[in-house]
Amino acid sequence: MEKPVMVVGLDESEHSFYALEWTFQHFFSPPENSPFKLVIVNAKPSPSSVVGFAGPSAAEVVTYVDRDLKMIAARVLEKAKEICTSKSIKDAICESVDGDPRNVLCDAVDKYHASVLVVGSHGYGAIKRAVLGSVSDYCAHHAHCSVMIVKRPKMKH
Amino acid sequence: MEGGVSSGGATAAPLNVLVAIDDSDESFHALRWALDNILKQKSETDQNSTVVTIAQVVEPLPRYAFPGGYVVETASKVQEENAARVLSRAFEMCRDSSLKAKTIILEGDPKDKICRAVEEMNINLLIVGSRGLGQIKRAFLGSVSDYCSHHAKCPVLVVKPPPKKT
Repeated sequence: MEKPVMVVGLDESEHSFYALEWTFQHFFSPPENSPFKLVIVNAKPSPSSVVGFAGPSAAEVVTYVDRDLKMIAARVLEKAKEICTSKSIKDAICESVDGDPRNVLCDAVDKYHASVLVVGSHGYGAIKRAVLGSVSDYCAHHAHCSVMIVKRPKMKH
Repeated sequence: MEGGVSSGGATAAPLNVLVAIDDSDESFHALRWALDNILKQKSETDQNSTVVTIAQVVEPLPRYAFPGGYVVETASKVQEENAARVLSRAFEMCRDSSLKAKTIILEGDPKDKICRAVEEMNINLLIVGSRGLGQIKRAFLGSVSDYCSHHAKCPVLVVKPPPKKT
């Protein structure tokens, strides 16, 4: 019988990796008995969303930015694969998809018919969220499956 | 790394789950979905490590609206019976899935009470249903799942309602 799929959205932030570790701790240990199949999806944003200006020098900058973004995505995937191996999870799928994280994650849910989408949360307040946008918010409302939003606990002062 | 998660050995960490329910279909669907897809598997692989707390939040009755003492008692008794019925149904669902469960009733505004309960009871995972309201309705009616996913101090699982049959 096919195992239900859990998609975990991953970017290079600590919040994302905390969410991945939390998911491993609660749903993939022990790894042999895990009820879920793990799919790790990293969204590689397009350079145009990062480079804010147009003009003659934009073309050059875009090339450098694109190269940097590719390196970051590759590094994130490599780290994810290392963590999977260290936790003895053998059949995890790790992939990086170009595009806006909101769409990439919701599309991945449809592609793999996931039961659960796990995303980290930056814990932005209302204003930051309105200005910067929130991937976890978007996914919680638009993904076609249940969404688990994992936050790092704040340190007590 | 601050706040790092301890990498465990072969055993899973204990999970304190809080499921927020009311008497709506969506919240029972959320409980059913969570039991079938997430919690049952954990109870199969690791006995006794998952504890489900079922929390029902009730609106406090406005006491000033009822001049006569008798009327107040009847109304709150009905509310108590409804709450008990909802909770016992939820409790049975957990027991059928072989999970340790307990029930609590919280009185007041659902958003605040649920988030406060998460802190006080050391909850690892909060499970809420979602009414699947559109953008506008959500702005007017308010959304407990939205509020909780932003303000609860623990991971939140938002369970979507089943797709409407056309």
